[in-house]
Amino acid sequence: MDSNKKYWKGLEELNQTPAFVENNKGEFAEPIPVEDVLNEAGLSTRTPRRDFLKALGFGLGAVTLAACNRTPVHKAVPYVIKPEEITPGIPNYYASSFNGQSILVRTREGRPISVEANPNGVGLNQGTDANTVASVLDLYDMSKLQNPQIGGKDVEWSKLDATVIAALTKAAAAGKQITIVSNTVNSPSTLASIAKLSAKYPTANHIQVDAISYSGIVEANKNNFGKAVIPSYNFGNAQIVVSVAADFLGSWLAGEEHTQDYIKNRDYKSLKNGKMSRHIQFESGLSMTGSNADVRIAIKPSEEGAVLISLYNEITGQSVAGGTTNAKAQTAIKLAAKELVAAKGKSIVVAGSNDVNVQSLVNAINTQLGAYGTIIDLDNYSKQHQGSDAAFQQFLTAAKAGQVGVAFFLNSNPVYDYFKAEDVKAAIAKIDFTLSFADRAEETASTLNAIAPVPTYLESWGDASSKEGLYTVVQPTINPVFNTRQAEQSLLVWAGETTSIYDFVKQTWDATILAGTGKSWKDVLQVGYIYKGTNQGSSYSANVDVNAVSSAIVADAKKVAGEVELKLYESTVMRDGRYANNAYLQELPDPVSKVTWDNYAALNPKFAEQLGLGENGKVKVEANGYSLELPVVLQPGQAMGTVSVALGYGRTHVGKAGNNVGYNAYPFATLVNGTVQLAAKATVTKASGTYELAQTQTHHTIEGRNIIRETTFAKYLKDPNSESGRFSDTHKTYDLWNKFEQPGHKWVMAIDLNACTGCGSCIVACNVENNIPVVGRDEVRRRREMHWLRIDRYYTIEDNGTKYTKEKEIAHIDDFENVTVVHQPMLCQHCEHAPCETVCPVLATVHSSEGLNHMAYNRCFGTRYCANNCPYKVRRFNWFNYWNDSRFDNYLNNEFTQLVLNPDVTTRSRGVMEKCSMCIQRIQAGKLQAKMENRKLKDGDVKMACQAACSANAIIFGDANDPESEVSKALRNERVYYVLEEINVQPNIGYMTKVRNTFEA
Amino acid sequence: MSSHNESILREPLMTGKGITYAQVTDDILLPVENKPNKAWWIGFIVAVCGAMLWVISVGYTFWTGIGAWGLNKTVGWAWDITDFVWWVGIGHAGTLISAVLLIFRQNWRNSINRSAEAMTIFAVICAATYVVAHMGRPWLAYWIFPLPNQFGSLWVNFNSPLVWDAFAISTYFTVSLVFWYCGLLPDIASVRDRAHGLRKKIYSVLSFGWNGSVKSWQRFEIVSLILAGISTPLVLSVHTIVSMDFATSVIPGWHTTIFPPYFVAGAIFSGFAMVQTLLLILRKVMNFEHYITMFHIEAMNKIIMVTGSIVGVAYLTELFIAWYSGSEYEMYAFANRIAGPYAWAYWAMMTCNVISPQLFWFKKIRTSIPISWILSIIVNIGMWFERFVIIVTSLHRDYLPSSWAMFYPTWVDVGIFVGSIGLFFTLFLLFLRFLPGIAIAEVKLLLKSSSLQHKTKLVQEGAFPEDQVEFFRNSLEKYDSVTEEEINALRKK
Repeated sequence: MDSNKKYWKGLEELNQTPAFVENNKGEFAEPIPVEDVLNEAGLSTRTPRRDFLKALGFGLGAVTLAACNRTPVHKAVPYVIKPEEITPGIPNYYASSFNGQSILVRTREGRPISVEANPNGVGLNQGTDANTVASVLDLYDMSKLQNPQIGGKDVEWSKLDATVIAALTKAAAAGKQITIVSNTVNSPSTLASIAKLSAKYPTANHIQVDAISYSGIVEANKNNFGKAVIPSYNFGNAQIVVSVAADFLGSWLAGEEHTQDYIKNRDYKSLKNGKMSRHIQFESGLSMTGSNADVRIAIKPSEEGAVLISLYNEITGQSVAGGTTNAKAQTAIKLAAKELVAAKGKSIVVAGSNDVNVQSLVNAINTQLGAYGTIIDLDNYSKQHQGSDAAFQQFLTAAKAGQVGVAFFLNSNPVYDYFKAEDVKAAIAKIDFTLSFADRAEETASTLNAIAPVPTYLESWGDASSKEGLYTVVQPTINPVFNTRQAEQSLLVWAGETTSIYDFVKQTWDATILAGTGKSWKDVLQVGYIYKGTNQGSSYSANVDVNAVSSAIVADAKKVAGEVELKLYESTVMRDGRYANNAYLQELPDPVSKVTWDNYAALNPKFAEQLGLGENGKVKVEANGYSLELPVVLQPGQAMGTVSVALGYGRTHVGKAGNNVGYNAYPFATLVNGTVQLAAKATVTKASGTYELAQTQTHHTIEGRNIIRETTFAKYLKDPNSESGRFSDTHKTYDLWNKFEQPGHKWVMAIDLNACTGCGSCIVACNVENNIPVVGRDEVRRRREMHWLRIDRYYTIEDNGTKYTKEKEIAHIDDFENVTVVHQPMLCQHCEHAPCETVCPVLATVHSSEGLNHMAYNRCFGTRYCANNCPYKVRRFNWFNYWNDSRFDNYLNNEFTQLVLNPDVTTRSRGVMEKCSMCIQRIQAGKLQAKMENRKLKDGDVKMACQAACSANAIIFGDANDPESEVSKALRNERVYYVLEEINVQPNIGYMTKVRNTFEA
Repeated sequence: MSSHNESILREPLMTGKGITYAQVTDDILLPVENKPNKAWWIGFIVAVCGAMLWVISVGYTFWTGIGAWGLNKTVGWAWDITDFVWWVGIGHAGTLISAVLLIFRQNWRNSINRSAEAMTIFAVICAATYVVAHMGRPWLAYWIFPLPNQFGSLWVNFNSPLVWDAFAISTYFTVSLVFWYCGLLPDIASVRDRAHGLRKKIYSVLSFGWNGSVKSWQRFEIVSLILAGISTPLVLSVHTIVSMDFATSVIPGWHTTIFPPYFVAGAIFSGFAMVQTLLLILRKVMNFEHYITMFHIEAMNKIIMVTGSIVGVAYLTELFIAWYSGSEYEMYAFANRIAGPYAWAYWAMMTCNVISPQLFWFKKIRTSIPISWILSIIVNIGMWFERFVIIVTSLHRDYLPSSWAMFYPTWVDVGIFVGSIGLFFTLFLLFLRFLPGIAIAEVKLLLKSSSLQHKTKLVQEGAFPEDQVEFFRNSLEKYDSVTEEEINALRKK
């Protein structure tokens, strides 16, 4: 109903008296002297007492009201419709693969948080390398591109597609090459997608080039066997291993798989059976593999070939010219040859050289040793390193000649890792359209026309075939986070296909791999792989003209031989440099030098002294027309007159963590006989200035202390207790404290010093599992790295048959080439009489009834007394608030990257102590699982993160109250001793003596 | 105190002519009742600047974290605990002087006990700041006390020497403060009686209504004795317990049974050195030469010499035991002190603490004011190094060589230490400005028994045989506050 009623407030309004009309103009009945107050005079007037009190009252009231506001509540919103497979708090595991290794990805609430080996996988199935464990962080890397780019500007995918297709069409029409430059691609789906593109554009070709080239082996095998492949090596069958500069436990071919097999002949189980392999290493720089050798001879890079010639002569009794003249090497070769021959069929020689001739000679030797078919498998060959230096040369030539119309770079970064970056740049400049599939604008991608960023393997569908017959699947564990697209998908789109990548991978598998196996795609997703290879390779015989090969080797060696020789090597941590933005890896110390966040020039201490260099010195290295000023590491074991420099550093366009860390050493490389060679004649001069490397260990010898106990294999065979020197065998101990019963579980660990190679993947696994912050180079320099688990590396220097471990004696030694090394993983020993526990004033660290030393972060107020009183120095203090301090922003100070954190483990605030918890969250999860299944916890239900990452099985964890557990059995081993047992802290981690299978034995 | 005449063989504890009770009060209250002089202002401004440095350094540490210091995974304590032990040690002289010497009726303490006790209190305050500042989360410092709480009734760990420490230091501070304040009551009353206006009101409150009756004095004496009795064990206990922070650990170089007596001796040693440092300046600037005489200076030098020798024996014993133990870790710890990367600190300690006090065997040196002052500073430096050597050189190379590391201080470490000295002097100078620096009432006791003027009177009256007087005259030659004329007056009239 329409109403026009008007209510009046009083008779005045009704009558509209003049006074009312006047008053009604203002808002208030009386004028408010706002103007008066706000003008200058008003402000300067004295505030009356009452006004002051009013203002005070109002202020107080207002503040009180404001303070009544409750702390904002951040709500965790539950799923409206819960995905069937996700239960908050319970991890999900997905079978996938990384670099061809079958792995399990652990996800929590839909985000991947860690990666472990697939225990049922083929090949490497117990442990992973550090790169694999750390790879989960790359998913959360903020330095990656979030959109496709053309000319450095973000564009839509449709725009990119149109541009690319136009370029492809143009090139095809002009008859110009369309080249896909990639690193080794063994993925059937990727190859199929490339084939699709080739089908559409007939001028398309695909070349593979690896930053670290193994072309030499491929070429040699092609010449000698007619098979252009790299064989698989089964070191599990090798009783005698001679390696000439091959870091076969680290970066050479499939180091981690080699480790797994190699250690099976050296660990406590093998020793228990009275068996141990012998490993002889000839090399210039002290590699991780060399540090594990029983006998190690330091040679110059130019001597590698000569050593192999001598070895060949000794084995066959021939006298091919060009043998080594190095007396130490000659002696070792004589002994080694005798053993190699004696153990025919169980002995092998490997060489790290990328030279065709050297590898041919090695093939000849291994043929003599009967290693083909037993150790070396040419049937189930490796497909991990198919790069061809020659193919890349051809590409560069063609491009420079303007014959290439389009080039795509897939996992290939030649501007950074090819030794002549200028050549690559010149070639790229001549190509009409260039595009990279890099996930970030790295060195090469940033110089190209367009970038089609790809997601990480954790967001992708795909597959791999690291070995003939072995197919592993890559399945995504999260939706692509950024606006990225898999390279395969892009190639399909550009080839005019509309298939989705999932369908494409599935079709590829159904059509080629699964055919005839009786297995379905679903089976593959569950298991993660399919193996169609044979059990053992067949025997082969190399067809080598040894004399011709040897004279070529001698001729080439002369080019390298010099007063000083440079050896470039692939670092076991940083590899070829592609993981350079991974902060976990940057802070993982080098297994031998313990240097983090840098590469350096490794020099023999004596050689450095001759050059006038000491600690923190800098050196200028010149070779092949390139020079670098590098910080120096005084490296015992380094051959005199040699300098070793790691590749994989000096990235400039990789991201916040990795940019400008170290120096790029690739330009030192050169091309000889068509393959990239990593050794060169060099000059080394002292450079001005000093540079302090961030090392996690700066004292390198045991000072004659019994913390490391080592024996020889011969002594061990006579007495398994040899040198284990257990204090408790000869001394009675007394207890100050009451003995507490530990009726349930008693968690203990056994560490086999003979198995540990020092690789450090356990350290990264521990970091990932326990949210351990990366602190950066400066803080490591201040000796504040946070690693809960470290690997102590000690040298023993041998001079004239005497072994020296004391600082003062070593100062007088002249020969630093003969060095033996031991790696000792060191972590909280969970002492029964923990010195840390008695001194904590607030009981923040206490003992559990399961034998663990707990740390209650909330109770800790940071006196650091516990850390001081820890004889093992394994406690780590949060000096700063690493999680939220821009000074330590290596990677984690953003909400996205923080998603990598393991939700089961709290992050620690500034001012509290932390240390190894024995992955208490895993123990708890294992117990809960057993409880839910209404059964007892079984041995092996709970695995420590470090243990799971160890491919050498050097770390054994379990319940000491279960006499049948693996750890109980291991700890009953005669070799077991406890570090610092004599101070009666009663550690719960037993170590097994280091056994060396030396010649003297 | 004594109605009979003191032997003439005893050196006078107070010099000067024509001193009356009134003049004692006037002399001592001069700085309290007048505007401070230039020297005081200069000292105060410098000290306050130091204190500001302390505020900045500690503030920076609280803001950023302990990482501001030079500590690392191996060396978890360095300058912080070195400074803490240094200050606690310095505090010891005050209690020793006020309590132990009182019980032994050493009257010479009467002139120096007030400043020494004040020094104790301020030193303990400085030490206590480190207890809080060195914590990773200092806002939770109160957790060190077994307070009833709602954190699931968490309790402290009575096995931990740090808990004992908290009790020891807080007890020590409380008792020292009470003792000091009780002794101040009659003197505050004197200030009150001479003051006017607001000043009078304030001092009235502070004097707790002291009325100077015989009963008050009697109770005063009894309370002093009782507190002395309570304090005496504290002289031994506090540094014993501080030493247990180290002695009960497993770290070679720390795990040493000799630590309790060694630390106590060292504490008295450094405490007396600090008293000497302060009083030598004080007597000059405040014109207290007649009250703090050469006798006092020499007596304290002797104590420094004796305790310095005890400390020296302790150092040598440590070395012997390290060798005799046959424990390689123990042997290495000491070999490393002598010849390791921190050998310079060890030899600085040895020179300052063991060799320099031996100079006091020479009378000329122990009665020389400039040399005494310099040596007192040297001893304080040496005692700082002693704690540094014990803490840092033991930690930086302990059991596993892989963790061996060096410690390098940052500006914050230095700032907190220098700042704490500033804080100490700020408090001490304020004390001199507002409270009598010498115990007036106690000094007055000496006037009619141990003062030179009284002894002169007795000599003139012929109370002593001449050979004894001759001895007395000779003993006066070292006194800088006694003139030739006064010595000559020591003859029978």
